[in-house]
Amino acid sequence: MHDDDVIAAIATGYAIAAIGIIRVSGFGAFGLLEKIFTKKPPFEHRKIYYGHIKESTGNVIDEVLVSVFRAPYSYTGEDSFEISCHGGIVVLNSVLERVLEAGARLAQPGEFTKRAFLNGKMDLSQAEAVEKVISSKSKRALFIAQRQLSGKFSGKIDKIREQILSLMADNEVIIDHPDEELGSYSLNQKVELLHNISQQLRDILKASEYGDTIFNGMVLSIIGKPNVGKSSLLNVLIGSERSIVTDIPGTTRDVVSEGFTIKGIPCTILDTAGIRKTEDKIEYLGVERSRRAIDDADVILMVFDASRNLDNEDFEILDYAGKTQSRIIGVLNKIDMGNKCGSVPLDKVVRISCKTREGIKELEEAINAYVVQNTNDADIVSLNAAQKESLKEGIMMCDKLIEDEQKNIDPALIGVDFISLAASLDEILGKITDEDMLDVMFKKFCIGK
Amino acid sequence: MIYPKKYDVIVIGGGHAGCEAALISARLGVSTLMLTISLDSIGAMSCNPAVGGLAKGHLVKEVDIFGGEMARNIDETGLQFKILNRSKGPAVWSSRAQADMTAYKLRMKYVMERQNNLDIKQETVDEIVVENKKVVGLRTNVGNEYRCDSVVVTTGTFMKGKIFIGLNQYSAGRAWEPPSMKLSDSLRNMGLRVSRLKTGTTPRLDARTIDFDVLTVQPGDDEPIPFSFRTTKFDRPNMPCYLAYTNETTHKIILQNLDQSPLYSGMVESIGPRYCPSIEDKVVKFFEKKQHQIFLEPQDEKSTEIYADGLHTSLGYEVQLKFLRSMKGLEEVEIMRPGYAIEYDFVDPTQLKHTLEAKSINGLFLAGQINGTSGYEEAAAQGIVAGINAAFYIRKDKPFILGRDEAYTGVLIDDLVTKGTKEPYRMFTSRAEYRLILREDNTHLRLYDKSYKAGLMDKEQFERIKEQDIKIKEMIKKLKTAYIFPNENINKALISLGTEIIKTKTDLSKLIRRTEINYDKLKTIVPDLEELDSFTKQEVEIDLKYEGYLNLQKQQIDKFKRYESMKIPESFSYNDVGGLSNEVKGKLMEIRPSSIGQAGRIPGVTPAAISILVVHLKKIYDRKIRNTA
Repeated sequence: MHDDDVIAAIATGYAIAAIGIIRVSGFGAFGLLEKIFTKKPPFEHRKIYYGHIKESTGNVIDEVLVSVFRAPYSYTGEDSFEISCHGGIVVLNSVLERVLEAGARLAQPGEFTKRAFLNGKMDLSQAEAVEKVISSKSKRALFIAQRQLSGKFSGKIDKIREQILSLMADNEVIIDHPDEELGSYSLNQKVELLHNISQQLRDILKASEYGDTIFNGMVLSIIGKPNVGKSSLLNVLIGSERSIVTDIPGTTRDVVSEGFTIKGIPCTILDTAGIRKTEDKIEYLGVERSRRAIDDADVILMVFDASRNLDNEDFEILDYAGKTQSRIIGVLNKIDMGNKCGSVPLDKVVRISCKTREGIKELEEAINAYVVQNTNDADIVSLNAAQKESLKEGIMMCDKLIEDEQKNIDPALIGVDFISLAASLDEILGKITDEDMLDVMFKKFCIGK
Repeated sequence: MIYPKKYDVIVIGGGHAGCEAALISARLGVSTLMLTISLDSIGAMSCNPAVGGLAKGHLVKEVDIFGGEMARNIDETGLQFKILNRSKGPAVWSSRAQADMTAYKLRMKYVMERQNNLDIKQETVDEIVVENKKVVGLRTNVGNEYRCDSVVVTTGTFMKGKIFIGLNQYSAGRAWEPPSMKLSDSLRNMGLRVSRLKTGTTPRLDARTIDFDVLTVQPGDDEPIPFSFRTTKFDRPNMPCYLAYTNETTHKIILQNLDQSPLYSGMVESIGPRYCPSIEDKVVKFFEKKQHQIFLEPQDEKSTEIYADGLHTSLGYEVQLKFLRSMKGLEEVEIMRPGYAIEYDFVDPTQLKHTLEAKSINGLFLAGQINGTSGYEEAAAQGIVAGINAAFYIRKDKPFILGRDEAYTGVLIDDLVTKGTKEPYRMFTSRAEYRLILREDNTHLRLYDKSYKAGLMDKEQFERIKEQDIKIKEMIKKLKTAYIFPNENINKALISLGTEIIKTKTDLSKLIRRTEINYDKLKTIVPDLEELDSFTKQEVEIDLKYEGYLNLQKQQIDKFKRYESMKIPESFSYNDVGGLSNEVKGKLMEIRPSSIGQAGRIPGVTPAAISILVVHLKKIYDRKIRNTA
């Protein structure tokens, strides 16, 4: 539900810091400010005012700076202001309480951004990006989110939309002006353009999957027979010693999850016990888990000991993981101790030494290359499930339209399919929206944004 | 004098809008007067000698189902009938007929003269008299003052009309008829916004000086189909049109003489129609095109006057003659009347309600070209809606409004009152979002109920269409529940029809849906299927073959209706709604939409603004419920 009553929230979060900010927005915000602030109006747009927030009794709560943003040139598009006060939790809470007492309501999660969207300050994909900017766990994710927020992605969709409109217009001209020798595209050109649009949508869908990995992270699993250096590799990747490393085979029994980033991608590692047939019940369980870990992993690092010849056990593991070939990166460890194993029958192989750290950079590159394929970071986007669904619908409509055109069906029917195609793009940018969907979407935001 | 008889409705203008408005108003039983500048020009075709065409055929048939005259008039006076887009699907079929324009206007005058409750007088209206925001009468150029409760203004291009032929210009309403110089000032004084639009027409040529042998013949359909559902006896000629082409010499002559065009010399600044450009516009804007098509159409069965469709021009007489004679077949052509451009006053239609009544003046209705449209059919469609509503206004009946989901006329009027227009507005099928359902072929099926309920159709006609409607629906049901089973004979027959065999029990509707099969072919396999008339067959086939798409549009219509049914009270105060930008607020206050649906169609009103409005309306509504509880 959309309202324009005055809402307020602590924008900087509950942490002790030098400065904390309380954001206030809504119809009548400046009337409220007048009640609680020692400085009197006029409050001009984009100016900062020094003064004190005081209790209704007149007691000073804090010495503050108030930044003023007038509608429609504010984040939300409404009259709004931000109080920069001292950063203590008690101070922030007291100022917030005073704002609420003066007539504001505590903002719902994401309500500021929701208002920005509803007031036409940003489209849906930009609004999504706001949340991503806040929740970015790495500089790289932030770069992608900022690009999307700046409307680069929306611009791309608009361009595709224009291509669709041009095809639509051609179709309409054929219908409404049958006497004229109009229609600028041949059948082949139309089909080619549709293929092209479909490809662009497919690329975006792919790029959004890469975006998912960059924002949500990936699951790595490290497999290999015992004592090839799986735990050492894990520790090198994490950058700290976490799991137990011994020379006795089979001592790493638990699948451990770890949080860290590789090239800005949040990773969870399934550090697996060696895959080895065993009578030992406890280790057997570990092996079972490892097999599952292989199935669940996004990327599998298959580790071999470069200083020894490959043995049957290595080949069994290769066999076992053979089905998942595309997700496997072969890692030949211990190159500092010699090179006896020769080549490994895998597409991607990186030679490293956990001890000297040789080849680690290359391994990280290889992992990244697998995750984003050849996509440039500038093309990567982060979309929600509904937006991806719309993309898929768009791709489906392209395929249908290609069939329509080739079968030379009634142009009025082709027109209907074109409208569906254009609508699927509009849904991505939220031009056609549904209030319930909005509520769900904006609930994801932290308070104050 | 103050005229002794008081009228319920006075219609100003006797063009295509005026005739329909006056006839339907009188037919609805209210006393009606039609005032025209010239009795000889009632039902005159100022431009092309044709009725119908893409999307316009739909309008003619809609006028017909609501008791209008245009369809019957062309059925009696047409010279050639044709269904356009036959090779494409039924949703975009459109009827078009060449008219004998002399016979057309004479018959229209004849019908009007014999209409009960209708008086016709030749007078020019100078002023509409308004008291307390209500129409009470009007004054004319012969010193008469008429009293009435409602006025329908259908002035076409006559208000301050100015004609341009090359650098010559003079005041005129149409060709050589006098303009109406005072009426638009009267409208301005009432507070209505009036601006200028431009349109044009083509030179009329002498058939005796055209070499038709070197031109391509364009005949009508061999089996012509009438426009009106009422027409039973139908026997009209099939007179040919001819196709000619401009060439590079023609274009060169035009380009060399652009300084003689008032459009290019800056004399005319108002906007003309993009879809119907002058030949000088075509040559300049589509420079790469080496030739343009020109259709030579008969104007009258007996006269030698030929209309040169595609050659709208404002160039001087000498240039017109020169470029005409550069074309193959026209080397020795004589002009009988030159083409010209005309500039005229129109009223911004966003000032009107969906009934075509002005929002600010009770009883004042506007229809036709005065609302910024172009075309006889667009005019007639507005004329009938304005006429019906003027009569209903007198009778204090519920307004007669057509939705975008019901009729092309609904789309036309909603576009006008919601978006306004910057150029003369022409109907296109692409303007109708539900065009698969709003087809020309099913016009009477989709609107007969509405027409009958509004009292625009008699019981006998209603029963006749209803019977047809039921027959079609039952046939569809039957085909969906009748099955055939795979056997050698049936599959052999299917193969011979060029379609796939069946492997399981299949209902007949599934077979009809196949591209290779229609009802007649199906009947060769299933001989006990009943004989159907060609119309029923056609409708059954369309309904089944298009079912998926039709259902999709029906769903869209349901959604559309939800927003249409969220009414915004006339007194709604947009200033009380926070969160709307000033720009959006301004637009909403100007248009004052009647529903959330209409609000959403106003250009510049964002989906976000709509959700704010919805919430606000809900609040008002909830408060009302609380207060009454």
